[in-house]
Amino acid sequence: MHGSLIPVLATSCLVLGCGASYPVPTQPLADTESAERSATELGAASQPKAQLHLQLAHEQLSRAKAAIQGGDNERAAALLVRARSDAELAIALTREENAKIGAQNATDQSNTQKSTNARQGGQ
Amino acid sequence: MTTIRNASLVFALMGIAGCASAVPPQDLVTARASYARASQGPAATLDPAELHSAADSLQIAERSFASEGDTQGTRDLAYVADRRAQIAEAAGQTKLASSQQGQTLMYMHSAETAQANASSAQLGRANAQLEVQGQAMSSQKQQLDAERDRRQDAEKRAAQAATDLAAIALVKQDATRGMVITLSGGVLFASNKADLLPSALTKLNEVANALTKNDDDSKIVVEGHTDSQGGAEYNQDLSQRRAQTVRDYLVSRNVAADRVTATGFGLTRPIADNASPEGRANNRRVEIVVQPASR
Repeated sequence: MHGSLIPVLATSCLVLGCGASYPVPTQPLADTESAERSATELGAASQPKAQLHLQLAHEQLSRAKAAIQGGDNERAAALLVRARSDAELAIALTREENAKIGAQNATDQSNTQKSTNARQGGQ
Repeated sequence: MTTIRNASLVFALMGIAGCASAVPPQDLVTARASYARASQGPAATLDPAELHSAADSLQIAERSFASEGDTQGTRDLAYVADRRAQIAEAAGQTKLASSQQGQTLMYMHSAETAQANASSAQLGRANAQLEVQGQAMSSQKQQLDAERDRRQDAEKRAAQAATDLAAIALVKQDATRGMVITLSGGVLFASNKADLLPSALTKLNEVANALTKNDDDSKIVVEGHTDSQGGAEYNQDLSQRRAQTVRDYLVSRNVAADRVTATGFGLTRPIADNASPEGRANNRRVEIVVQPASR
């Protein structure tokens, strides 16, 4: 996933240096939209930190689409790489939050169990 | 080890960057800080692959800055490197939380198992205690049943004895004294004698048989009584000797010695008028008093 971002961005830079015509970044666009959907489905919009990066991904995706519309495919490709990294960060942050909630719930259950056992032991 | 190597590369590139441009872009500064934070967190041990990927991204950004300076391309690469570092940090935290959750669940499972084992042991002890109590109750019931049977048997034998005695002597139930068997003195003894007449033996044999059928725990008192003829002291002695003679004979006929005692009352307890021959005959008597065990 992340390994594919760097070559795309590096290629973008090389192309920028040459000044040649740049192809429409169709695959990066699809990959970024897919990452954004995954983040949304995972619940990133309901968690503040993840929501910020989901929003950043969405904004940069929109800007990338506008750049493609404007014929600036090179800038669009760079924006898509940024957007995709934000979408993937939103996913990672959502997973982190979910894992922490799961750990906290387990701790709460364990404490309840300890209290229950202590009461039963004292009877 | 990998982390240290990656960090060394990053710092080497930072040195190069320092030569190419004095002021790195803010995105690169942020990416460096993010990577430093991630490399000191749980990702270093729990998700080194993710951290390695972040190091690679940062190296690329550093190289771009070293060669190109503060360009849009460098800022884009630094931006991505920052996200990769944050992703590595989040991945490390995720694995740490999952590990903690797993340990907690394992602890809970162990505690539940221990609690279940303790409950099972407690139940086992309670069952064993119930079994012991059940056995004790069963034993107690057997004892009560045996006691009831023994009492019923004693009552039957007492009733049978009373029936048998009624056929050979005057038998009365006295509310305070118990069962009173009255034998005429004229039937048992010659005048002024304490030796049993031969004809008396048959009657006393039947009395002894009836008494041995009676409740084994009952007490028997043989009472001697006379009429008022003669002195009181003489009659007292005569009644005592007659009572003792009857008592000894009953014992010789298998009535338990510890059940039977003899007492002489002389002329002190007449049951009829001593003025008439019939009354005096009735007063000359031996009474065998059978007292139930509860008395």
